Amino acid sequence: MASIAGSSLSMQPRSTLATTRASGLRLISFMNQGRNSLSFSLRPTPARLRISCAAKPETVDKVCEIVRKQLALPSDKPVTGESKFSDLGADSLDTVEIVMGLEEEFGITVEEDNASTISTVDDAAALIDKLCSEKA
Amino acid sequence: MGASKGQRLSGMQKQVLSLYRGFLRAARSKPTEDRRQIESVVSAEFRRNSKQIDRKNFLYIEYLLRRGKKQLDQLKNPDTMGISSLNVSPSQNNNAKT
Repeated sequence: MASIAGSSLSMQPRSTLATTRASGLRLISFMNQGRNSLSFSLRPTPARLRISCAAKPETVDKVCEIVRKQLALPSDKPVTGESKFSDLGADSLDTVEIVMGLEEEFGITVEEDNASTISTVDDAAALIDKLCSEKA
Repeated sequence: MGASKGQRLSGMQKQVLSLYRGFLRAARSKPTEDRRQIESVVSAEFRRNSKQIDRKNFLYIEYLLRRGKKQLDQLKNPDTMGISSLNVSPSQNNNAKT
């Protein structure tokens, strides 16, 4: 569903300015039923795909929250996607705990080889998104 | 355990972390209350040893790894409900009288 919404949005600038959002959506849903629409709906997809490869912002937020809880960080300490676990004061045992906490939260299993490559919040979020999409 | 900076872990460090992971995983299968207790004992034990033991004391670390693996096997038994820490470290002299 997300890709349909995405393609309809990116098509709007291409159509005439007079087209309203509602009619644009109706147009898409109509075209998706016909086979001719394929060439239309494919064009915006590559741009969208690149974005979905990176970790989703909500995943990053959730990881930040878990890391904060696990390391008992004060609320004024900033935790972002670029934060390195070691810079946040985590030792290797903490990192194991964080990964275990993430496994439970997202219902995934992180292989040990992958677990050792995680050093930032972004690393963790990207891996989680990958594992979640494989599971789905 | 100060090696998380460069992410270059020795084989032995990996074994220790793998054992730690195994304990935390085994604890998941226990009821919530037992689980908390197991986690706190295991975490305290690993952290205490990580601070006390010289990281070049391979023989002793290997011994602890073997002991830990046996304890983990016992913990994995569904009948095992909990874990307690026996202080047999050299600094502790309470256990001498038996």
